[in-house]
Order: sequence, then structure tokens, then C-alpha cells
Amino acid sequence: MSKRVLTVDDDPDISIFVKTVLEENEYTPLVARNGEEGLAMARDEAPDLIILDVLMPKQSGIRMYRELRSDESLKKIPVIILSGIAKRTFLRSQEALTEFGDQAIPEPDVYLEKPVEPLELAETVKKLIG
Amino acid sequence: MKKILLIDDEEDTLSSLARSLKSNGYDVIAASSGEMGLVAFEKESPPIVLTDLSMPGLDGLAVLKRVKNSNPDAEVILITSHGDMDSAIDALRYGASDFVKKPVGEMDLKIALRRAEEKLLMREKLREYTLDLENMCYIAMEEVKRKSDFQDKLITSSNDGIVATDEKGIIVIFNPGAEAIFGVPRIEVVRKASFTALFPPEIADVFTLMFKKGKHMGDVEWKEVVIHRGDNGDIPVRFSATLLYDGDDIIGSVGFFQDLSEIKRLEQELVKSERLAAIGQTIARLAHYIKNILTGLKGGTYIVNLGLDKNDIDKLRKGWVMVEKNVGRISSLVLDLLAYSRERKPEYRECHPNDVVEDVCELLEGMAMENQIRVARDFDPQIKEVAMDPDMVHRVLLNLVSNAVDACIFDLDSTKEHEVSVKTQLEEGNIIRFDVADNGCGMTEEVKNRLFTAFFSTKGGKGTGLGLLVVQKLVYEHDGSIDIRSEEGKGSTFIVRLPYRDAA
Repeated sequence: MSKRVLTVDDDPDISIFVKTVLEENEYTPLVARNGEEGLAMARDEAPDLIILDVLMPKQSGIRMYRELRSDESLKKIPVIILSGIAKRTFLRSQEALTEFGDQAIPEPDVYLEKPVEPLELAETVKKLIG
Repeated sequence: MKKILLIDDEEDTLSSLARSLKSNGYDVIAASSGEMGLVAFEKESPPIVLTDLSMPGLDGLAVLKRVKNSNPDAEVILITSHGDMDSAIDALRYGASDFVKKPVGEMDLKIALRRAEEKLLMREKLREYTLDLENMCYIAMEEVKRKSDFQDKLITSSNDGIVATDEKGIIVIFNPGAEAIFGVPRIEVVRKASFTALFPPEIADVFTLMFKKGKHMGDVEWKEVVIHRGDNGDIPVRFSATLLYDGDDIIGSVGFFQDLSEIKRLEQELVKSERLAAIGQTIARLAHYIKNILTGLKGGTYIVNLGLDKNDIDKLRKGWVMVEKNVGRISSLVLDLLAYSRERKPEYRECHPNDVVEDVCELLEGMAMENQIRVARDFDPQIKEVAMDPDMVHRVLLNLVSNAVDACIFDLDSTKEHEVSVKTQLEEGNIIRFDVADNGCGMTEEVKNRLFTAFFSTKGGKGTGLGLLVVQKLVYEHDGSIDIRSEEGKGSTFIVRLPYRDAA
């Protein structure tokens, strides 16, 4: 059975794009529209990889990433952050949350800035889960 | 015991008087001639001298002169006989304190001695008083000097400019702070110039008024003025002034000047850095928004290429829709930016408002249907051809309807049947009312409060935070109004009223 990849993005175009890249490379895509939905799907479906956007209405990727990394059953799932904001900004927001009393969490496995090339995305996924 | 010098050439008188004085408690130094008496005086310095007037050699008058010369405070009592009247008067002139007549009576002597002692005491007291007075005077002077030094230093070292005038308006105090502000050395103005020559008219007028009104003038509130100093440049200052009184009399005036250039500079810097921060934020948000569009375009072309490679019409169509949509997003962004940044006068043209609104509905219906959202129309058939700015109406409605669609997409309540309804209505006074309502996610109070804040967006990376701002700007430019009703979880309604002119 092919590996399953959950993509969480509120922009339907980007979801379609990522989904198509995944299908073309013989993965099974799962699509969520925001952090809340993404977290629920991650728990229900236990995907092999999560591709996560950062700025989304409702629950943002900043929060969702922390929850993924603090949940025993989800902690081991590799995460690619795919976002329009710079990696530096994302890491700083994580540091800020840590300073406010949350526990420190590891950096994401891979950070990709939009716009991403389909080939780069496919290779990154391959490198992480084969 | 008090010393007394007793001088007499007659042995008997000397010894009897000495006895009498001793019994009155005096320490008697006896001398039998004027010469001996003076030697004893120099040696013992007695405060009282009792001397016979007529003596061979140095007589009483000569003794008196020498004693007074040596110690003016010493009291000299002369012992006189009949016929010494002239000499006695001379003696008074030389400062003798009293006379006793020969033969010296006990009572007369006592009275003379008491008077001499009283004089001594008085003189002593007077000296003490004088000394005290001098001391007090000195202390007071020192205190005054200290205070004036202190005030001098206070005035001199004050960062504020202090300019004081006398009652005629002539400048008497001009501290270094004032020199710096007015760019004039004190030597050129103190006691030389009147305030009218120094101050710019707007400050001088205040002083003139103050002198004229006197007591009836309240305190002069702090005012900001700019002082032009020719080649030295302009300087913004804050100033206040007051009259100086001695009792009820005006004795002068004083003005206080604070240099505001540093504060102004900091203010400007702050505004500038704030503006830069705002520009930075704007650019970051725009860059992010554009990155999303680019990703959409990239995704679209990727899928178009896949479709071409595989001869898959379905993919081709799907990719093409994405490309078209994102090209649309870019042109919409550019139009919003232009509308936001530019003053624009409405261009009244003949148009059918209902048709304009229908265009907008058709444009967004595809996206709405993709997300299972119905677009309902309710157009007032009474609305005929009118003159208004159709581009503006289009832009406003496009923003509002696409917001309404987004509000439905963002709403996570899947039990709802999402609907956007667009309504037009003719109102009294040449007004057309446009309602755009949705049953989507609605807004919190916080979001409502920040609705028209530049670059505020709840759409994550997919909003520019410009749309509603542009709507508001366009509506106001068209002399219209905008009202909002919204409830979190239930949906929002935007009501725009725009005036129109009758078609020609």
C-alpha cells in the first residue's frame, strides 16, 4: 500500500497542487483545510508524513505544529512546513511560545518556502519517507 | 573685685579715700602724682580712675587726656576744689564722667562711682549689642548672598531660557539657556534692550498684554511658537510668562522658554520609524500574499503540463482554472492597491446597477459552487438606468461578495447550507441600497473593531487586509455609507447605500 501524506492548507489551489504532486509520485494524499481539521485527521488517519502551512484561519500551523510535537502518538510523524513566511519567522514564533512557558520543541524536519517547485517537493517527500 | 586707680598728691586725702573705696569693695591702686598714676594705669588698666584736678606736675586734666587717649572707655572722675570751675568745664569737654567736690563726701563719691559703673555697664552692653548686631548683619548678608548665589546658579544652569525684565520691559536677566534659544549674547541685551526688540511679535504681544492688564491677566498658559533666528535657523519653543510683583506693584516680568527641537526631532524620528515599521509589515504581508498566488500559478501550470503530457483534458481544465483564478487574484490585488493609494473621483456614467451586481455574482459563482455555497439574488426591478460610477460599484460588490464567500468557506459548521445573498433596493432620496449577507462564520467583536484597519486580515495568508479598506474608501468617495451587522457563528451582513443621479 502506498504511503499516506496529509496536507494541511487553507488555500484550495495549493491543496490541489500538493495533492497532484503527491498522486503523480504515487503517494496517497489526505487534505485538511486548517489546523483543527488537520490535527483531527492526523489522529484518525496516522499519516506517514504531514505537509503543513503556517498562516491559516482558525488554528494556525504554529499551534498545530506544537501540538503534533507534544503528542506522544504523533510526535514521530515527520513534518514538512510549506509556507509563505520565512523559516526564521516561524522559528522565532516557536521560540516566543517556548519562552511563554511552553516546552521547547524540535525544529520541523524540513522547511520549504512558497512558491515551491513540484520536483523539489516530490524529492523532499521521497527523502523523508521513501 | 573691680579695680580703681586713685590719684592725689595729698597724703591724707589719698589714704582716707583709699580706705573708703576699699570698704566699698574696690581693689584700689593708689598713686600720689599724675605721672605715677599714668604708669599704674598703663600697667593695671583699671576701668575707673578717680583723680585730683589740681596737682603739681601732671594735673588732673592732663591725666584725663592721657587716660582717654589710651583707653576711651575708661571712666574718669575728677576731684575738684572751689575755683576750679573753668578747668572742670574743660574736663567735661575731654570726656570726664563726673566730679566730686572736696572735701569728698561719702555719699557724693558713691553716687559718682555708681554713675561711672552704670556708664561702663551701658557701654559694655552697647558694645555687645553692636557686636551682636554686626554678627546678625553678617549672617543675614551671608544668607542673602547665598540665596542670591543659589538663585543665580539656578537661573544660569537652567536648561530653559529665562528672560526677566524690569517694570519698564527692559531686560535684566538673560540666562545662557536664553542665549542659546534666541542666539544673542546676554551682553547685547541685558539693560540695553526691551523685550519688544528681542521677542518675535507673537511672544512680545503676550508680554505687552500682560503689562497692560496687570492683575487682571491670569497666568499665561504654555504656548508653542517658532523662533526664527535668521542664519541660525528656526527653533521650536514652548513658553510661559508671568508678572513679578512687590506687594501690589509690578516690578517686572519673567518668561520661560523651553527648546523643543530635540523633542520634535525624536517625535519625527518615532513617526518615521513607525511608518517604516508599517511599510515593512505591509510589504511582508503583500509578499506573503503574492507568494501564495505564485504557488497557485505554479501549481496550475504544473497541472496544465501534466494534462498536456498525459493528454488528460480533466487535468488540463483543472490546472487552467487555477491559473485563471490566480491571475484574477493578482489583478484584483493591483486594483485594490491602486484604489487604496490613489485619490479617485467617482466617474458618473449611465449604467444599470442590477446588471453590475449580476456580473459580480457570476464572477464569483464558480468559486462559491466549488465550495457548496449558493449565491441568491434579489434585485429590485424598480431600479432603472441611472448615473453612478459602475467600476466603483463593481469593485465594492466584488470585495463584499468574495468576503461573504470566504466567510462561508471558513465556517466549519458543516450542518449549515451555506448561502450568500445579494440584494438591491431603491430607497428615498436617489439612493440605492446594496445588501450582501452570508450565513458563514460571522465576526467576533475584536474583528469588527479592526475591520477597517489597514492590512488587518483574518484570512491567514490569503488576505491582503486591503479589501474592506478599499470598499470604505470608494463608498465614501461616492458620498455613500456602509453598515455592518454580524454575529459570530451566524453570519454577517454588509449594507452599502450609494446616491445616484438620474440618467440623462
